[in-house]
Amino acid sequence: MHGLDLLSLILWMPIIGMIGVLLFPKNNETGMKTWALINTIITFALTLVLYCKFDQTVSGMQAAFNVKIPWIKQFNIFYTLGVDGISLPMIILTGLLFMLCILSSWTQIKKSVKAYFALLLLLQSTVFGVFMALDFFLFYVYWEVMLLPMFFLIGVWGGENREYAAVKFFLYTFFGSILMLVGIVGLYYVTGQSVDSFNILALSGGKFMSQTVTLFGYSLSFSKLFFIFMFVGFAIKVPVFPFHTWLPHAHVQAPTAISVILAGVLLKMGTYGFLRIAFPIFPDSAKYFSTAIAWLGLINVIYGALCAMAQTDVKKLIAYSSVSHMGFVMLGLAAMTVQGMNGAVLQMFNHGTSTAMMFFMIGILYERSHHRWIVKPDGSRGYGGLYTQLPVYSIIFIIGMFASMGLPGLSGFISEALIFLGMYERFTTITVLALFGLLIGAAYLLWMFKRMFFGDVNPEVKEYEDMTKVEVLYMMPLVVAVIVFGIYPSPILNIMKASVGQLVSLLATF
Amino acid sequence: MYINYLANIGRYVPELILVVLMLGLILLEATYDENEKDKKYIFITATIGLVLALGALIANLGGKPEAIFSNSIVVDSFSTLMKITMVLGTFFAIYLSRISKDIYETLKSEYAIMAVGILIGGFILASANNMLMVYIGIETLSILSYVMASFKKNDHRSSEAGLKYALYGGISAGIMLVGLSHIFGVLGTIQFAGIAGSIAKLDKSQLFILMPSFILFFAGIGYKIASVPFHMWSPDVYEGSPTPVTTFFAIVPKLAGLAVLVRVSMIFMGDASLLQYTWVGSLMAIAALTMTVGNVSAINQKSVKRMLAYSSISHAGVMMSAVVVMNNVGIRSIVFYGIAYLFMTLVAFFITSIVEDQYKNDHFERFQGLVYRYPYMAIMMAIAMFSLTGIPPMAGFVAKFNILSALVQSKYYSLAVILAVNSVVSAYYYLKIVRIMILKNQEANDNIKEFGFLNQMVIVGLTIPVIVLGIFWQNILALAEGAKLFIQ
Repeated sequence: MHGLDLLSLILWMPIIGMIGVLLFPKNNETGMKTWALINTIITFALTLVLYCKFDQTVSGMQAAFNVKIPWIKQFNIFYTLGVDGISLPMIILTGLLFMLCILSSWTQIKKSVKAYFALLLLLQSTVFGVFMALDFFLFYVYWEVMLLPMFFLIGVWGGENREYAAVKFFLYTFFGSILMLVGIVGLYYVTGQSVDSFNILALSGGKFMSQTVTLFGYSLSFSKLFFIFMFVGFAIKVPVFPFHTWLPHAHVQAPTAISVILAGVLLKMGTYGFLRIAFPIFPDSAKYFSTAIAWLGLINVIYGALCAMAQTDVKKLIAYSSVSHMGFVMLGLAAMTVQGMNGAVLQMFNHGTSTAMMFFMIGILYERSHHRWIVKPDGSRGYGGLYTQLPVYSIIFIIGMFASMGLPGLSGFISEALIFLGMYERFTTITVLALFGLLIGAAYLLWMFKRMFFGDVNPEVKEYEDMTKVEVLYMMPLVVAVIVFGIYPSPILNIMKASVGQLVSLLATF
Repeated sequence: MYINYLANIGRYVPELILVVLMLGLILLEATYDENEKDKKYIFITATIGLVLALGALIANLGGKPEAIFSNSIVVDSFSTLMKITMVLGTFFAIYLSRISKDIYETLKSEYAIMAVGILIGGFILASANNMLMVYIGIETLSILSYVMASFKKNDHRSSEAGLKYALYGGISAGIMLVGLSHIFGVLGTIQFAGIAGSIAKLDKSQLFILMPSFILFFAGIGYKIASVPFHMWSPDVYEGSPTPVTTFFAIVPKLAGLAVLVRVSMIFMGDASLLQYTWVGSLMAIAALTMTVGNVSAINQKSVKRMLAYSSISHAGVMMSAVVVMNNVGIRSIVFYGIAYLFMTLVAFFITSIVEDQYKNDHFERFQGLVYRYPYMAIMMAIAMFSLTGIPPMAGFVAKFNILSALVQSKYYSLAVILAVNSVVSAYYYLKIVRIMILKNQEANDNIKEFGFLNQMVIVGLTIPVIVLGIFWQNILALAEGAKLFIQ
C-alpha cells in the first residue's frame, strides 16, 4: 500500500500524541490531558476502522494492510507490519484500554503530569508495535522499548515500594528478552541470513527440526533449546509459574491505569508471543513440550487462585487472580485444538476487559479510601457495607467480578468453557484439576466481596461518595463489552477463527 | 630509500599533524605566564589541530590500504576508523578537562599536551605492523598515562593511581618484551607478516615452544585493555585519577589496545592450527571472565566513577569476545561497538564529572533527584545508562546485537549466552543510577553551576548519536563493514 497505511497510522498516532504532550507548556495540564484523550480516541477509532476493513474469511496476514519497508540492509531487517485474526482483538483491546486509562488518570495523577501522559502514549505505541510487528528484530525492539516507559510509570508514579517493584519488573523481563535475543540471532544464522531470516511468517512451519547446536560442550536439538529460550522470554511476561513473582509487586505498586495496562494488555503480549512466534516457528518442540506447558498452566491456575485467597490487599488479590486466569490461557494453548486455541485467544481478550474493570474499580475505591486492605494489618476490617453506601459502584463491581469468575452470561464463561472443551480429550486429568481452579476462583472472589460489601457499615465507608459521572462513563464500554461478549461472542470469534484454525492445523501435522 | 619515505608520507599526515600540534602546544604553553589561569589559546590550538587530524583521517579513509615506512606502519580502513574514534574521544576529553574542577587550572594545558601525546601512541598502536612499533606505541601511550593519572598532586589517591599504573605498566611491558624477544629469537623477524608466514611452516612441537611467548605478548596488550587478569590496576587508577583523565583512559588506550589485539589475532592466528586453537580458547576464557568480573564487581560500588571503571572493563570483555570469531564480521562489530561505546561513555562521564565537581565526591546519592533539577541532563544520563545496558533503541543495543550475531554466526553459542546473561547483570547497576536520579524524591535543591547552556548542548550533542546509531545504523554499519585489515 502506498502513502500512509492504516497500521503505521495506528502505530505512530500515539507518538504524535506524545510529541504533542511534550510541546504543551508545563502548567497547562488540562490542555495536555485533553490532547492525550483526543489522541487516544482517534487511535481507538482507527482500530475500529481496521476491524471494519478486516476480512474475516482470510486466514493468516491480511495482504491489504501489510507494510514492508527495508530498514537495515546488511541484516535484512525490515519494518514489517501486518495484522491477522490473532492480533486484531489485541489491537482493539489496546486502543480501548489506553483511552479509558487516560480518563482514569485524569484526576488520579498529580505528580509530573506531562511526563506521565507522554510516557503512557509512548507505551501505547510500543504495545501496538509488539502486536503488529512481523519482523523479528522489530518485534524485539518494541518488546524491549516497552520496558522503558513501564519502568518509569511504575517507578515514579507508583506506591511506597515502587522502586523495588520497578527494578524487579525490569530485570525479570529483561532477562527473558535477552534469552529471546539469543534465539532470534540463532534463527537468523540457521536460515542462512537470507531475506526472510527475520521474517516471522517465513520462519514458521517447523523448519528447524533436524538442526543441532553445541552449548557448553553438549550437543542439543536446536529446535528444543531455542524453544525453551523463547518460552522463558514469553513465560516471564505471561507470567507462568515460577516466573510470576514480579507480577504482584508490580501490580500493587503501579498506579491504577498502569495496573490496568499491565494486566489488560502487557500480560497478553506473552501469550501472543507463543501464538505468533514460539508455536509457529517451533511447532515440533511446542508439541513435545505441550504436556509440560499444560502442567505449568495448571499450577498457575491453582497456585494463583490459592495465593489470591490468602491476600488481604484487594489489588494483590486481583493480581494473583490474573496469574490464575492467565493459566487458563496457557491451558488452552497447550491443548492445541481448535476449541482450546480459540478459547485461549478469546480469554486473552475477555480477561483484558474483566481484569481491567476490576483494577479500575479498585483504583476508584482507593481514591476514596486511600488504602486497599480487605483486612487491615491490625486485624480490623478495611471496608464493610459498601453495598448500601455505594450502590452504583457495587453493581459495576459485581458485573466485573462475575465476569472474571466466569459466570455464564458474562464474557469469562465462554472462553473458559471453550478452553475446557478443547483440552478435555488430550489432558483429562488436568482438565478435571483445573476445574477446581474455577471453584477456588469463585470462592476467593465471593469471600472478598462478602468482606468488603456486606456486613455492618464501616464508619469510614459512610464518608465515601459514589462513582462520579466520568467514572461511570469510562467504565461503561467495559461493562458493555463484558455483557455483550458474554452473550454474543461471535464478533471476536469470527475474526480469530480462520487464523487460529491455520495455526492448529500447522501444529496438528507434528 | 629516502625517496620511498617521502613518497609514503602522504598517508602519514594525521600523525604528523598530531606531532606538530604537540610541539606547538608545548611552545605555546611556554609563552604563557606560569600563573596564568585561562590559557584558552592552548584549547583553541588543540581544537584546530584535532579537527585537522580528523579531516586528514577522513581523507585517508577512501585511499587504498598500504604498508609504509618499510612495512612498519600500515594504513588501512580499520586503523583509520579506530583513529577517528580515538580523535573524537580525545577532543571531548580535552573539552571536559576545560570545564572540570578536578584538574588544577595550571595543569589544564599540560592535560591537552599529554592527551595529544597519548593519542599519538594510540595511532602508532592502531597501525603497528611489526613488534617494535607495538612496543613503541605501548610505551608512548603508557609513560604519559602515568603522569596523567597522578595529576592531582595533593591528593594521595591520585599519586597512588599514578604509581600503581606505572608499576603495573612497567611489569607488563617487561613481560611483553620477553615474549616479543622470544618470538624474534625463534622466528628471526619482527614483521607481523613475516611471523605469520613462518608460523604457517612450523610443526606442532615447534608451535608448542612458541605458544607461551604469545601469551606473554598478550600480557602487554591485555594490560592496556584492562582485561582479566591484568585489570587490577584499573579501578584504583580510574577512581584516583581526575575525572577527565579517567574519561580519556576509558576510551583511547582501550581502543588502541583492542586495535592491536584485533590485528595481531587476525594476522598470526588466521590459519586453523594448534596455535589458533589455543589463542582463541584463551581469548574466549579471558573475554568471558573480563565481562563477568567487570560486571559483578561493579554491582556493589558506591562511587559512580568506580562503577563506570568496572563497567568499562566489562565492555572491553564484550569487545574482546568479538575478536574470538576472527573474521570480518567480528571486526565490523568491534568498530561499531567502539563508536557506540565512545558516545555513551562520554555522556556518562561528562555528567558524572559535572555532578562530582559540584559535591566534591561522586557517590551515587549525589545523583538523587537530578531529574527534578535538570530534567534534560537526567534523561541524557538515563539514555546513556540504558544504552550501556543494551536496550533498544539505543546504540549500545545495536552494538551488542552485532557482537552477539557475530558470535552466533561462528557458532560460539556458549560465549553468546554468557554475554547475554552479563547484560542482565549489568542492567542492575546501570538501573541503580537511573533509579536514584529519577525514582527517588528530590532532596537537595542546589543549582549545579557547571551545567551551563553550552555544556548541556555538548551533552545533548553527544547523546543524539547514541539514539541515532540505535535506529538508523545502516550507514554506520556499512562504514564499519569497510574496516578491512591490510596484511603485508
